[in-house]
Amino acid sequence: MIKSIAPEICTGCGACVRICPLDALRMGEDKKAFIAYPEDCMTCFLCERACPSGAIDVDPLREVLPPTFPDVPVELGGGRA
Amino acid sequence: MKNTMKINRVETDLLILGGGSAGLWAAHRFAELMPGRKVCIVDKGPQDWGGLMAMAGGDFEAVLPPDTVDGWLEDLVYYFDGLCDQPLMEALLSRSAERMRDYERFGCEFFHKPDGSLKSVPQRGLPHVKLYPAQVKGRGGELMAKSLVARLKDAGVTRMGRIMLTDYLVRDGRITGAAGFHCISGEAYIFKAGAVVAASGMGGWKTSYGKNTPTGEGMRMAFEAGAQLQDLEFARVWNMPRLFAWEGQTHLFPLGARFVNRLGENFMNRYSPVLGPNTDPHFTTIGMALEIRAGRGPIIFDVSPLRGEDMILLKPQTGWQKLNYEKLCRLGLDLFKDNTEWVPQMTVSHGGIRAEIDGSTAVRGLFAAGTARSMEPGVYAGGFALMTTAVTGHMAGESAAAWLRDADDAPAPDEAEAEALLTRAFAPLGREGRDTLTPKQVLTRIQATVFPYDVSIVKNGPALERALAEIRRIREEELPRMAAADPHYLLKLHEVEAVAFVSELFVRASLERRESRAGHFREDFPRMDPAGPSWIFVRRKADGTAEFTPERVPLEQWRVPLTRCYQDNFTFVEQATGKDR
Ligand SMILES: Cc1cc2nc3c(=O)[nH]c(=O)nc-3n(C[C@H](O)[C@H](O)[C@H](O)COP(=O)(O)OP(=O)(O)OC[C@H]3O[C@@H](n4cnc5c(N)ncnc54)[C@H](O)[C@@H]3O)c2cc1C
Ligand code: SF4
Ligand code: SF4
Repeated sequence: MIKSIAPEICTGCGACVRICPLDALRMGEDKKAFIAYPEDCMTCFLCERACPSGAIDVDPLREVLPPTFPDVPVELGGGRA
Repeated sequence: MKNTMKINRVETDLLILGGGSAGLWAAHRFAELMPGRKVCIVDKGPQDWGGLMAMAGGDFEAVLPPDTVDGWLEDLVYYFDGLCDQPLMEALLSRSAERMRDYERFGCEFFHKPDGSLKSVPQRGLPHVKLYPAQVKGRGGELMAKSLVARLKDAGVTRMGRIMLTDYLVRDGRITGAAGFHCISGEAYIFKAGAVVAASGMGGWKTSYGKNTPTGEGMRMAFEAGAQLQDLEFARVWNMPRLFAWEGQTHLFPLGARFVNRLGENFMNRYSPVLGPNTDPHFTTIGMALEIRAGRGPIIFDVSPLRGEDMILLKPQTGWQKLNYEKLCRLGLDLFKDNTEWVPQMTVSHGGIRAEIDGSTAVRGLFAAGTARSMEPGVYAGGFALMTTAVTGHMAGESAAAWLRDADDAPAPDEAEAEALLTRAFAPLGREGRDTLTPKQVLTRIQATVFPYDVSIVKNGPALERALAEIRRIREEELPRMAAADPHYLLKLHEVEAVAFVSELFVRASLERRESRAGHFREDFPRMDPAGPSWIFVRRKADGTAEFTPERVPLEQWRVPLTRCYQDNFTFVEQATGKDR
């Protein structure tokens, strides 16, 4: 999931805002991109790859989703905590 | 709708819903044939992003000499357990090489071996079906999308992003356009069109990594407009690392990679002595599920049998896969070094719009293309999607051109109906009250209902009945309580409504198919129906509910007889009927 956009590095070019398929990023009044809807990020890395100044950090770990095996303990490959 | 709300009106000859592979190809072909006519692509994502192709590796299937269409067709009839629309598949395969050559002409290169010949990778243990990898592994799809968009710009095709379409407009069984809204400005849109190509992608469950845009509104819209759907019982349950995402594992199995259980056993050898781990993820997830249920999880991805030189070649070289890999390595999650745990993960629906070979549907002037129409019964071979979406997109562009040449001028959309539909679409915007729900809250409940393995992988009647009751409860009690604070959330809300729609059809169709075949496994009906393969078509009845109608596959009229089935390679039946428990 998208982790951060460093305002001191962002030049306000808008590339990340234009490319995000989920509309998770927007341009602020201060002409810096910001994470407007973090929960909608799908970890596609398109924004980080598009950023010419390296301001964006996307965390590679995946969102925790409802389990496939609700009754099997996690240690045995299931989803029961 | 509020009188102050601005409605933008756009007139076009051809409206294309979705700017993914299929939509771009449809626009390209139409513009080539009808240079004077207007084409407009509308996408809920960014303008010109290219849909899922923007993330695709670029593997492409094509029938190239010395292979023949007949050989591939035989493979697919066998692989799909007979659920193969042979005339359609023959048409697609016959055109696959042309589209691959088009891509080469557009500057998208495929991987050549040192001797100059094209590299190919056989798929799923099939004798003929194979894919051709892109030269720039990991960015091939992105380059394909860019090459198509460049052509559309030259041809003067209008492309509009961030507009979600919510309803087709139909008059007397003929399409007249579509309605929707801009997800940033919140402005409403009414499109008037002579013909429409539905290239809106699959349904799905928003499970990250390129799976969050295919949510099935296009399917719901087509159903409401009067088109039929099919193959809703088939969903793609993929094998994924528990903690992160990975693409391209299917390249590793033919080279020796495998999944092992807690005891270190290569369990797929037990479930399929013939194919072992080198098969479709659908079958691997059944194996995983049976292992985990039997207490032999967790499942580990074992790359130790891979040869060192192969490993170097298999590490992601470019694109998001490389970035992902480097970040994971820093976290101590090196797929090629560390033991990583993998789990089955439900991702997208294989269901889609029922269409003729040329893309035409039960609604006059509405053509379906790409993954918005159904082409495979839940089992899949690498490179199939980029080929089939290119070919069906190209064909839909051609069909829409022919239709517009002959058809009477399109009637104007019914304004009152269009505005009523927009009022309905905008109703949740700004909805208030103590008991409102966010789209994400409802999405999580839908996911929790369909993800469990006895609903999604090793299906059984009672679990499906329970899931159906819960989905219906969500439809009746929770969907009407969803509220959107702004147009961004209004888009997510309509997506979640479509996810609920597809989920209900998935569960109902899974109950209807009382057998196991291709990408559908019922533990309580673990064998194939001896009467032979049937499709399950879904249509909207006058009261708005869905009707499921099975229809036998007319094998006797087609060229390739069903002499063997891929399913026969597996021993899940024996496992499911008790030997293992
Ligand atoms: C990471 C990844 C790697 C892949 N690699 C390969 C590969 O190497 N080879 C291969 O063959 N396949 C691959 N695939 C699959 C392939 O890319 C897709 O199946 C294919 O591109 C789908 O094309 P499409 O046009 O049918 O649908 P999509 O690409 O889903 O396009 C549909 C478009 O419609 C838009 N849309 C949907 N609903 C609406 C609405 N209501 N209003 C407005 N717009 C809407 C969407 O935003 C989207 O842009 C990969 C997929 C992923 C995610
Ligand atoms: S990773 Fe993808 S979805 Fe997430 S913010 Fe960046 S572009 Fe958007
Ligand atoms: S792409 Fe980078 S520099 Fe450009 S607006 Fe986004 S964060 Fe700022």
